[in-house]
Amino acid sequence: MAFPKPAATLRSSTGIPTGRLAVWWLLASEVVIFGGLLGAYLMFRLGHPEWADAAEHTNTWIGAFNTLVLLTSSFTAVLAHQAAERGDGKTAAKFLVLTIGGALTFVMVKSVEWGIEITAGYTITANGFWSFYYTAAGLHALHVIAGAIIMGIIAVDAYRGRELQRVELIGIYWHFVDVVWIFLFPLLYIAK
Amino acid sequence: MAENHEQNGDGHDGGHHTNYKKIYFTLLGLLVVSVAGPFLEILVITLITAFGIAVVKANLVIQNFMHLKAEKRLAKWILATSLLLMALMFAGISADVMNHEGRNWVNLAAMAAVERGIVDPHAEGEVEEVEFVAVARTVEADFNLICATCHGTGGLGDGAAGVALDTPPADFTDPVFWETRDMDRILNVITNGAAAVGGSSLMVGWSASFSAERIQEFADYVLAFRPEE
Amino acid sequence: MADTAVATEHVDHHAGEHHGPQGFLKYIWSTDHKMIAMQYLFTGMFMAVIGGYMAYVFRMQLAFPGISVPGFGQVSPGEYNALVTNHGSIMIFWVAMPVLIAAFGNFLIPLMIGADDMVFPRINRLSYQIFLISALLLLASLFVQGGGFGGAWTAYPPLSAVGDYNQTAIASSMWLAAVALEFVAFLLGGINFITTLMNARAPGMKAYDIPLVCWMIVIASILFMLSVGPLIAGAAMLFLDQTVGTGFYDPARGGDPVLWQHLFWFFGHPEVYVVLLPAIGITIDIVATFSRKKVFGYKLMLYTTVATGVLSFFVWAHHQFIAGIDPRMANVFMVTTLLISVPIAELLFVIIATLYGGSIRLKTPMLWALAFIAEFLIGGVTGIFLGASGADIYFHDTYFVLAHFHYTFFPIAIIGTFAAFTYWFPKMFGKMMNDTLGKIHFWGTIIPFNFIFIPLFVLGIGGQHRRIYNYEHFPDLSSAGQYQLRQVATIALLVMLAFQLVFFYNCIMSWWKGKAAGKNPWEANTLEWTTESPPPHGNWPEGLPNVYRGPYEYSHPDREEDYWPQNEPD
Repeated sequence: MAFPKPAATLRSSTGIPTGRLAVWWLLASEVVIFGGLLGAYLMFRLGHPEWADAAEHTNTWIGAFNTLVLLTSSFTAVLAHQAAERGDGKTAAKFLVLTIGGALTFVMVKSVEWGIEITAGYTITANGFWSFYYTAAGLHALHVIAGAIIMGIIAVDAYRGRELQRVELIGIYWHFVDVVWIFLFPLLYIAK
Repeated sequence: MAENHEQNGDGHDGGHHTNYKKIYFTLLGLLVVSVAGPFLEILVITLITAFGIAVVKANLVIQNFMHLKAEKRLAKWILATSLLLMALMFAGISADVMNHEGRNWVNLAAMAAVERGIVDPHAEGEVEEVEFVAVARTVEADFNLICATCHGTGGLGDGAAGVALDTPPADFTDPVFWETRDMDRILNVITNGAAAVGGSSLMVGWSASFSAERIQEFADYVLAFRPEE
Repeated sequence: MADTAVATEHVDHHAGEHHGPQGFLKYIWSTDHKMIAMQYLFTGMFMAVIGGYMAYVFRMQLAFPGISVPGFGQVSPGEYNALVTNHGSIMIFWVAMPVLIAAFGNFLIPLMIGADDMVFPRINRLSYQIFLISALLLLASLFVQGGGFGGAWTAYPPLSAVGDYNQTAIASSMWLAAVALEFVAFLLGGINFITTLMNARAPGMKAYDIPLVCWMIVIASILFMLSVGPLIAGAAMLFLDQTVGTGFYDPARGGDPVLWQHLFWFFGHPEVYVVLLPAIGITIDIVATFSRKKVFGYKLMLYTTVATGVLSFFVWAHHQFIAGIDPRMANVFMVTTLLISVPIAELLFVIIATLYGGSIRLKTPMLWALAFIAEFLIGGVTGIFLGASGADIYFHDTYFVLAHFHYTFFPIAIIGTFAAFTYWFPKMFGKMMNDTLGKIHFWGTIIPFNFIFIPLFVLGIGGQHRRIYNYEHFPDLSSAGQYQLRQVATIALLVMLAFQLVFFYNCIMSWWKGKAAGKNPWEANTLEWTTESPPPHGNWPEGLPNVYRGPYEYSHPDREEDYWPQNEPD
């Protein structure tokens, strides 16, 4: 039984549909969370040039591959949105599933990468650089997983032609997760 | 490359697919450049390719995939505010955290960490004992900055913080003090803290902040207060 | 697809179909904003009792050191630390915020803007559930091995990071997790409130027709959302330091404890405005109703509040003047701190100007509103001394600071709550509270309150430092006169706590046997008074209202009635 929405949800005094407005506010709060963490990292990194020695050991190729994966998943997410706008729920669901596939690939690659690094002795307590590395990438990965789960729920609804406007919303969130990685990649993998 | 992306139900398939695809391939191209940049081994170029490109890529995603460019101004203000706050936060905090000395303070532990460098768990052969490189400050400067707060610049135990304690620090110029102290004990207390010899835990150990060499220099400095017989 | 400003006023598709959960489930599974408001209200008030009990225990210890406190026993140093830490944390995070923002925000915002519910009712329910878990987690932390977390509500590392130092290793992580969960609950709630206010207004309700209390709660939510991020990051780092052994805040490992201070106060300062703004909103709405007058400067208040909010992000390091920050930064923060007193004073002046020339009705809610102004003013001016970085060298960490923030927080969290509660009780429960009992409770709270904290100002100026469990260890702070002051404060607290029984009695008797309130017992203008008391599910089952004028059209010259509800057509 679908939850009956209050009339309030369908109003729009600002001209932006309520769901989308909420997502922009959500993103603002996420910007300050990641901004706080990455700002702190940046302060330490700039004050500790010796961290470059630790940063040497991140694998730029794996990082680049994961960047490729996330960029592609953003592409499929926006294609899903395009389909949803046409009212084509089944195609939208298909593209969302591809996006989720990208998310899973990302997480799997990261697990392998971390496995290699941890067995090599680069653990979260090894030194300041690695502490930030795992915390920042870990927080990001949690957002990837949470996003994938919600995306799955929306995909199921979309396949049945329901709540198609949510495809755009999860897409916006997904692109944000991609943008965070776009900054994490040079910070953790290239600045050596 | 301004595309007018329609928001209503009837899609213009040909035009739109091309646009998103174009953005996507631009993003991939930028990724390649940012990975290739460091191979030139010129720092400025690496920074530009790494972070400059990140900004460009993020902008492409935000404007085109998130459709911020077509969105009402309110959303742009919301995001801009959050970014500005991050700049403010960085500006306010970095003066204390990023720098390791100011006009009246110095972060010895951080300076020592920079000197020490990162110990690689995979160093070939024996992992050598990490040697501190002496920080280029005189012993006297360090004593006056760090120790004199309690011990006083003359070693009398009359520093501003010292006189406030229930049991002030000992007077280093008092011969009675020296009846029960020698170099080994002084070294022990400075390195490991007075609690290690049954004294007050308010005198902490300094082995993490100073090299063994500098600690020896401190001990020599303290011994110099000892009155001539 | 969601569309633009179309108000679907035909609420009849709800009628007979969806009434929400029935029976017992209604109290724990409802998505109705009014029920969720009640949940937050009662949880917050329960936590207030616990926080008040903690204050009772530690004040008894301070006034009569070594005493076996009735209802607790002897207070050990570790227990003292846990009591003051959790008293502060509970009062800010589990009383002030849930009651002022979540409870009254939830109850009032949809009603005052003419909506049938919040825009995301299920997320609303989820945010309460997360909040409840955070409260339970915090309470559980008091009973684990080692006792409750004792590192102060500010949780500075290394004390908070190293179990060996704080001796409360398990509780310190539970406390941190509870705070983090509370943040998540309020982030979710905040998104709901902001989006509802921005988007779900009644047709005809322009931005300047929104009652100020709604604006205040939403601006507070925005301040919260934008400031809490860095602290969430910092809390994650502290949690890792505590549990896994990272060194984010450990100088020996390359970290920096001052970083935590900055991250904490970057949030901590806007946080005080997060709780202040709703209290001011409550006060101004009550003052307008009981003066039968328009607000002296609606737009002035609105823009001043926005300015205060912006400026509140620029003052945080005044909490760190003597922590070892760069003194040049201290100068900057001193200037901004002294500056922020201007817009806040202006807000109070607008409230006072609204009173001037009004036809004052001294009902209980109005007494609380007036007391808010008077007591908060005292708190505010004492803040000026602390904002001067030179003076703060002496005052920092003394009871002067403590008395200052109690003279601000108490009006916010306690006076503001009682003002709102006595004002909206008739709407929430359909009965009138007994006004005489209300006045007895009022005086029995306000007078003792001053006798608690004025002695603490005096003690603070005399050099008494905070967070010390027994002043007998400090000869300079154990004179007979100083002990007398401590005892006056403690006895005043006992009197004040006793008078709260009058409040509880009044609540229960009024709810059970009070006079029926009707729709609009206070003859107020705003939309919540145009529907039944209490409002039914959907708020206006016969059709959501349209709005034709502003919220404070009192004593309009062309009207016979001295009020003009927003939904009455011209």
